[in-house]
Amino acid sequence: MMRFYLAALLTLIYLIFSTVNLSAHHVLGRPSYVLNEDSNTPSAMQVETQIGDYFVNYMVFPAFPRPNEAGRVNLYISRLDGGLAFDGKVEFSVRNDSWATWLGFSADEKKLGAQVLDDHVYRQGLMFRQRGSYIITANFRDDKAPYTIEFPLQVGAPSPYGPIGIAAGVVFLILAGIGLIQRRRSLSGQIRNSHTGNEKNQE
Amino acid sequence: MTAAEWNLIIGGDICRVTPQGTLEHPGLPVIWGVAVCVAVTIVTAWGLYIPSGSNSITANRKSGFTVSAIPFFGGFLGSLWIKPWVLLSFKTATSVLFLMVIWTGLAGTPLPSRNLATVLTWNLWWSGIIISVLFVGSAWCAVCPWDSLGNLMVRLRVWRRSLPHFSLNFRVPKNFRNVWPALVLLVGLTWLELGVGITSSPYATSMLALGILLLAIIFLGVFERKAFCRHACPVGRTIGFYAQLAPVELRAKDMEICTSCTTLECYHGNANVDPCPTHLVMGRLKQNTFCTSCGNCARSCPHENVSWRLRSPGKETLEGARPHWDEAWFMLVLLTLTGFHGITMLEFWENRIRQLARYLGDSGQLIWSFSIGMGVAIAIPVALYLCVVALTRWSTGSSFSFRMIFTRLSFAALPLAFTYHLAHNLSHLLRESVGSGSVFVNPLGVDALPLSVNERHLQMLEMTVTPFALAAIQAVMLVLGFIFSVLVVRRRGMQLVPEGSRTLMTLSPMFGFAILMTAFHLWLLMQPMNMRM
Repeated sequence: MMRFYLAALLTLIYLIFSTVNLSAHHVLGRPSYVLNEDSNTPSAMQVETQIGDYFVNYMVFPAFPRPNEAGRVNLYISRLDGGLAFDGKVEFSVRNDSWATWLGFSADEKKLGAQVLDDHVYRQGLMFRQRGSYIITANFRDDKAPYTIEFPLQVGAPSPYGPIGIAAGVVFLILAGIGLIQRRRSLSGQIRNSHTGNEKNQE
Repeated sequence: MTAAEWNLIIGGDICRVTPQGTLEHPGLPVIWGVAVCVAVTIVTAWGLYIPSGSNSITANRKSGFTVSAIPFFGGFLGSLWIKPWVLLSFKTATSVLFLMVIWTGLAGTPLPSRNLATVLTWNLWWSGIIISVLFVGSAWCAVCPWDSLGNLMVRLRVWRRSLPHFSLNFRVPKNFRNVWPALVLLVGLTWLELGVGITSSPYATSMLALGILLLAIIFLGVFERKAFCRHACPVGRTIGFYAQLAPVELRAKDMEICTSCTTLECYHGNANVDPCPTHLVMGRLKQNTFCTSCGNCARSCPHENVSWRLRSPGKETLEGARPHWDEAWFMLVLLTLTGFHGITMLEFWENRIRQLARYLGDSGQLIWSFSIGMGVAIAIPVALYLCVVALTRWSTGSSFSFRMIFTRLSFAALPLAFTYHLAHNLSHLLRESVGSGSVFVNPLGVDALPLSVNERHLQMLEMTVTPFALAAIQAVMLVLGFIFSVLVVRRRGMQLVPEGSRTLMTLSPMFGFAILMTAFHLWLLMQPMNMRM
């Protein structure tokens, strides 16, 4: 038995040390913010992800676009096997990203434009008049299938009052509900007590 | 060999640049890995071959001593929690910080490294809270802002006894009087943290904080006492289970007084002090799991018989804590989730998720693929533990049911989870908290730019302790976790073995489980890790 344990431990130790050279992860689909110190370009928001056979890199300049400020989306699409850039047409569109849109209301999408590959990049200019949360959609098609990629874009700072207002509303509703139930409880208690009192008086 | 070369061997690189140009923390140096392996081998040999003196459970009340017995400042420390204003001061401070987190997350910059919400929540609090258990047990629960603010809004009190008629005071339905709700929320929280990535979004961090506050308020409004803390809070229950291994406890000074007590103020409270929020009676209290360290018992006891005590850290897992089915699952899933945190930081995880996403046609954050991967990552150690329990039942010839063995031996998972969690979080805290003071100067991150490469590099170079010290602490933690786990297997396992066939060798499957999990944790710690933000 001891020999078995020794052999098992040695195997474990071998496994532990034989795979030490793994490198750390990079999370797909999450925005990261890049400060370009080597050029005059402003800081950018970048999202990496994949769809089907393609690796997609999406950059927004500037990182935090404001209303009435010109911005740009750079989209890099390359094959997962070999890294060859996708050469075709990409159509960009935009819609509101709100609770109403999630529920199927006011989901009207506006076309931003169609772009072709230019120096390995699809560039789409942007300018939003209003502050808000938007979803940018990029559609393209290869020989096999159509692809749709969606990216969130925040124009201007999001309002902090919405979530706080909703939370305050929920708290108010909870407390009001508790108050109502307690009031009914108290009334029924009083009625019960008065009944008991009357019965005692009659006795 | 030069001093620099020697430092590199025992401490490793301070930071490394990946082929992609990003910076990462190096893993535990090989020399510490070897040291852990040697220690594990020695402890295993001892665990299997040297019989223990006694296997009987003894509720040794005399072990440990009250904090007030510490020379010079013991009296001050002992009375600290009993004075309401001390607790109120801490509660006020944490509540103010919590409200700042909500405001800065919603109104501040989306840059996670420049916003107070993300830095304070994930870099400092989330990493530090587990480390705090090692010193002060479940003390965080006593100053928790979710509970403080909820209590203020629902029961209109932060001081003295709450007004009960502001809550409906329903009893928690029988089917939910367990920790299953907390377990589900813990898995959900991990999913949000690692899958959705709320750690890198100040806005999402605030929404989560608000969401949990609302849950706490609903529970306070509907159920009696603090049902959320006892049954649903994922943070509180995690702290509570880990607090079984804490060196401090809030307990009776003299059990005789509790035995003869008929009024039970610790349970019912008195005119000024709330009752125990989690329905504990001091005279029967043997484990920290559900104690929120609020000190109500200490303040309400007319005999002044409740005090903070220092004790042996392994006391509860070895003998005091009672096994329960739901709690056993919580401890087991806690073990899987701590390891899962490490797994998601490896390249192979990302590659597998990418492959799965390709197969499923998943895009964006690959949430579906991540969720499936997470399910599998939780299921594998659970399945392994189930097999080990079945094997142990067979090898010991125990007459106990599978369920009984499952629950009793699950305590062995707790030290493994806790020590790996500590080692992992220590790395985050010591490496990533450097320079976090700047977010207190500019909490909203007004006009802040993303962290430059230079800043990131400096942050990594200016570690709070030397890489050698960090590596040594991590290695010691892993070994300690393994030792406690072996002790639990020996102590609790031997009670499952029939009298006639009591040999430690029959518990081999459980020893194997502890070795495998420690080896897995060691391997994870030896991998390089990306900075959180």
